Amino acid sequence: MSRLKDLQKNLFGGTTSNARQFGMIFTLVAIVVLFQILTDGLTLRSDNLIALFQQNSYILILAIGMLMVIVAGHIDLSVGSVAAFTGILVAKSMADWNLPWPVAILFGLAIGAVIGAWQGFWVAYIGVPAFIVTLAGMLLFRGGNQFIGNANTIPVPEGFRVIGSGFLPETGPNTGYNNLTLLLGLAGCIAVVWRELHARRVRREMNAEPIPMWISILRMAVMVGVLVFVTLRFASGRVGTSFPVSGIILVALVLAYSFYTRNTAGGRHIYAVGGNSRAAELSGVKLKRVNFYVMMNMSILAALAGMIFVARSAASGPQDGNGWELDAIAAVFIGGAAVSGGIGTISGSIVGGLVMAVLNNGLQLMGVGADRVQIIKGLVLLLAVALDVYNKRQGRFSVIGSITRTFRRDTPTAPPSSSGAEREPAKTPVAG
Amino acid sequence: MSDVPILLEMRSITKEFPGVKALSDVNLVVRAGEIHAIVGENGAGKSTLMKVLSGVYPYGSYDGAIFYRGEEMRFGDIRASERAGIVIIHQELALIPHMSITENIFLGNEPRKGGAIDWKAANRQALELMARVGLREDPDTLIKDIGVGKQQLVEIAKAFAKDVKLLILDEPTAALNEDDSQHLLDLLRGFRERGITSIIISHKLNEIEAIADRITIIRDGRTIETLDVKADGVNEDRIVRGMVGRELHSRFPDHTPKIGEVFFEVRDWTVRHPISAERLVAKHSNFVVRRGEIVGFAGLMGAGRTELAMSVFGRSYGVYESGTIIKDGKEIVLKTVADAIHHGLAYVSEDRKAIGLNLLDDIKTSTVAAKLSKITRHGVLDQVKEYRAAEEYRQSLRIKTPTVDDGVNTLSGGNQQKVVLAKWMFTDPDLLILDEPTRGIDVGAKYEIYGIIQRLADQGKGVIVISSELPELIGLCDRIYTVSEGTITGEVARQDADPETLMKLMTSSKKMQTR
Amino acid sequence: MRKFLGKSVAVGAIAMLALTACGSGRDEGSSGSGSGDAKGFPANSLIGVALPAKTSENWVLAGDLFTNGLKEAGFQADVQYAGASTTVADQQAQITAMVTKGAKVIVIGATDAAQLSTQVAAAHQAGAKVIAYDRLILNTPDVDYYVAFDNFKVGQLQGQALLDGMKAKKPNGPYNIELFSGSPDDNNSKVFFEGAMSVLKPEIDKGNVVVASGQTDIKQTAIQGWKAEGAQARMDQLLTSTYGNKELDGVLSPNDTLARAIITSVKGAGKPIPVVSGQDSEVESVKSIMAGEQYMTINKDTRNLVKQTIEMVKALQAGNTPQVNDTKSYNNGAKVVDTYLLPPVAVTKANAAEAYANDPKLAPLTK
Repeated sequence: MSRLKDLQKNLFGGTTSNARQFGMIFTLVAIVVLFQILTDGLTLRSDNLIALFQQNSYILILAIGMLMVIVAGHIDLSVGSVAAFTGILVAKSMADWNLPWPVAILFGLAIGAVIGAWQGFWVAYIGVPAFIVTLAGMLLFRGGNQFIGNANTIPVPEGFRVIGSGFLPETGPNTGYNNLTLLLGLAGCIAVVWRELHARRVRREMNAEPIPMWISILRMAVMVGVLVFVTLRFASGRVGTSFPVSGIILVALVLAYSFYTRNTAGGRHIYAVGGNSRAAELSGVKLKRVNFYVMMNMSILAALAGMIFVARSAASGPQDGNGWELDAIAAVFIGGAAVSGGIGTISGSIVGGLVMAVLNNGLQLMGVGADRVQIIKGLVLLLAVALDVYNKRQGRFSVIGSITRTFRRDTPTAPPSSSGAEREPAKTPVAG
Repeated sequence: MSDVPILLEMRSITKEFPGVKALSDVNLVVRAGEIHAIVGENGAGKSTLMKVLSGVYPYGSYDGAIFYRGEEMRFGDIRASERAGIVIIHQELALIPHMSITENIFLGNEPRKGGAIDWKAANRQALELMARVGLREDPDTLIKDIGVGKQQLVEIAKAFAKDVKLLILDEPTAALNEDDSQHLLDLLRGFRERGITSIIISHKLNEIEAIADRITIIRDGRTIETLDVKADGVNEDRIVRGMVGRELHSRFPDHTPKIGEVFFEVRDWTVRHPISAERLVAKHSNFVVRRGEIVGFAGLMGAGRTELAMSVFGRSYGVYESGTIIKDGKEIVLKTVADAIHHGLAYVSEDRKAIGLNLLDDIKTSTVAAKLSKITRHGVLDQVKEYRAAEEYRQSLRIKTPTVDDGVNTLSGGNQQKVVLAKWMFTDPDLLILDEPTRGIDVGAKYEIYGIIQRLADQGKGVIVISSELPELIGLCDRIYTVSEGTITGEVARQDADPETLMKLMTSSKKMQTR
Repeated sequence: MRKFLGKSVAVGAIAMLALTACGSGRDEGSSGSGSGDAKGFPANSLIGVALPAKTSENWVLAGDLFTNGLKEAGFQADVQYAGASTTVADQQAQITAMVTKGAKVIVIGATDAAQLSTQVAAAHQAGAKVIAYDRLILNTPDVDYYVAFDNFKVGQLQGQALLDGMKAKKPNGPYNIELFSGSPDDNNSKVFFEGAMSVLKPEIDKGNVVVASGQTDIKQTAIQGWKAEGAQARMDQLLTSTYGNKELDGVLSPNDTLARAIITSVKGAGKPIPVVSGQDSEVESVKSIMAGEQYMTINKDTRNLVKQTIEMVKALQAGNTPQVNDTKSYNNGAKVVDTYLLPPVAVTKANAAEAYANDPKLAPLTK
């Protein structure tokens, strides 16, 4: 029993939201296995995995930014429109002004930054709720897209398309695989092992209770195993394909933002603001600045997502970005973020996004129509969040915990709501 | 004695919250037609007792029994107690600002004709009720457009709409000016003549003395005594003795202060209310703090102590009007909390759940939250340093937790408070302002926190303690300022401090009397 | 620990190499070989059909016809519609899924004809043939065939009918008309409009026909997404701005949905119903024509179009080259696509009974 408990506590990282994340990963694996069976092995075939990443990388990139927005206690409804607006401007800049495509990408990111600064200004410095600001932004930039594009579809040049539909080149000896993908996978394996060992070292330095060695090894083995499997799948696709470029952009962003949110003061401040903005302010956190940058960052990522979609579609069209905000928000909430802010992780959101993506893909492979796919996705979102709310009321949740509950003697203690001070937090308005 | 029938009897009421026993074996007897006052220090358990009575804490969540008009009552919620004619009017008024007087009076209790609200009848009844409480206003006036005093009357009218038999007023005059208070007290006397029983909770002892028939004193969650005002010849001093009377010195660790020079001084500090700009929450306040000194701020609720402290702490409350802060002989300007932290100030807030802690965080994250730069290297948080810092405080402050990875919401009130203290000690402050540092904490933990405060002073830091518990200030502080209506009204040295003296200064609205 | 790290890496690398060695059946794909070398495929192969969102009766009908027709011919059919809001992304994903499932032919009714090049390239590389159905897929060499009604002809018929109808009502001009065109992201919109204008333009130049609002540019006349409410709103505005005291004689409408919206708008304004063109032979519009409101529609019998498409699929299955009748006109920006054009038929109240005689749904309406 204690081994099982150790496992539950230590399998995925070392913090409080573990069990929740474990549940999500468990769900993802279950869905993958389910569809692998239902589609006769199509789900995990190389070409399908590659397509899955290409189709969803832009939504997952949005989910990264959205997670930070939601953790800070806001919401951004404008991401789809911002993506479409940036997309059309970038496409036009290449078609009409002949901007070279790398410059056009920088141009697009700059547009995102300007839009983000605009929205951040209203949210942080004027104090208009983000829901309203971005609802306005949604209309504003959707209209902007149609105004500039005249609702036309504008193609983009070949070079630009790399970020959306490109692959790693085939180099080196003929191994029967895409060699660069193999190298990436190997780097991933080394990183996993290094991180595990580093974590053990850190815990030793802290004089903290060490994680049992067998768990470390099991954890490494599982992660390396998954990585090797995925790497080989991606590397063995049709010649000319590999792990997609958009997937590489995504992975780089996930790593960078995970690090930022977890290991820097700026990241901490986002959680502090979302968890209790007044307490954060009284701890010296610059509330306005945090809110401003969170909103701005979201629009920059939305711009990037828009460009990746345009690159994948080979053209910027009037329907780009429709409904993306909902997909991104759904990913974040399925990934365990709290509606009231302060809780959530990048990795959770990515897993949440992947759950939706695999579901979508699996159902399409089964030939289920778009109408029914939407119904199923809606139900999944509702159930995932309902489960979360339910668990919060019940104390903390864990899949394994719920299985082993009957064996445990220690009943979980409810958090003390001490001194009966259940009054509203004194919301003292801040002046100037 | 027993010629008057008993309306309400609460028998050995005990109410526990996790970690705290708020009420223990409390008895209360209220006779029909009297005005019964309940007094006690903040946190003594008065409000909890009234919440038990009114069903906010439903039957089953407390021990003991409530007899009302000779029958045992088991209220499941507020509506049940209201049906029995017990209506409580809270300190924070439960009115909706953008609705009219009539709408507020009948909210949830609307007179109906068919399925629709009969506004004609409502307005007519509202006028009658308003006349009973002496409120002359158009019943269609919005609540936000009338003053606090009149709002209070609307609350009482609302109680009458529910056919009240026992009216409970929690600090009814706290927010009222002299005239409005007087009007309200007259009104209560009028009710008494008409046979309505009232329970009044108040800090204003002069008012209690003037109006109450009998007084029940509660201290530390226990009934101390019930006094008959006329028969026992009760006066203010007698009440104060009952409220604070206990041995003070055993509750505090022994401590010999090592007081140094004045290093922190606030001059002519004036701050406006954040919303109603004509109100001053701090008025020309002056105070000094010496190194190694524990300075107390005594004052009644709403006296403006918290507002004063927060406005000094990087203008985190109100709108700065005038005043200077001098630290170590130099004037400093603290426009933001970050400035204040940078200049060695720390403010441990009164309400740790609402504004002191992020309850979603774990202990180590909370400990370092106010000074992340101390554990940052090349822009990256050093988790080993973080863990070590938290672990150090866990040991030195004896925070009771298995590991610092646990969430702060798993801790008891006293241990949460220690985490907040740790968070601010981590910023290496020169001056700590502790706002109600022991509120809602049991006696043992209080003792430990007093020890921490004394150690901080011994390290040469200045400490300001804001507290509503006079014994705490008297036992802990080297010097005490009294605050009333945003002004410092007195300064009392430790050896001169006694509850009576302080209470008088706290309730006076005169300027500074130095003794 | 360092030693341990080294070991683990080594183990990982070996594991990967070992796995690398044993599986190397990497598919070279038939990398975009285009048409010509077709050798056919098994008769029970999967055929994918990706259609736009279910916004018009025609697409729903086409979907049903494809499902049944392909089944009858012995194929497995996978017919998909795009979702209502995320149309383009949905269709992209659906086409990719069809490729994954190994569809031999993919028939695409594009939502946005310019945003599918990546997907059709993938389809081609996986060895599938791509038939553009009704809407030509743009800017890609990876489209094999195009099947559609002759849309330029549709426009011409609409323009001609409009002139005839107005003349029948009022023998002498000048006639006031207004122009509407379809969704700008639909490649056909432009073709319809140009076809119609090829008939109307000479009359406008002569002054016999007047576009009273002056809005003759396709950007001004376009209705985003073929949405009825868009057309109704535009008509409302035209009536207010231009036809306060003028008479409106005719409206060029590119399809039936928009035509009915236009008529609703005119009725709402209390004006006499002008001559309005249409297209698609939707049930409601046929009723409207029989009631004397809408003047004409185009019968592009979806049955014939689907039948022709399935013929193409059958030919490909047998390894033959499908029949086409236009190898010059349809340049999609990357190549000239071999096309089979079906002739459209103009239908007015006069010839409705004859035109719909074979249509089980519409024939009863004409009696």
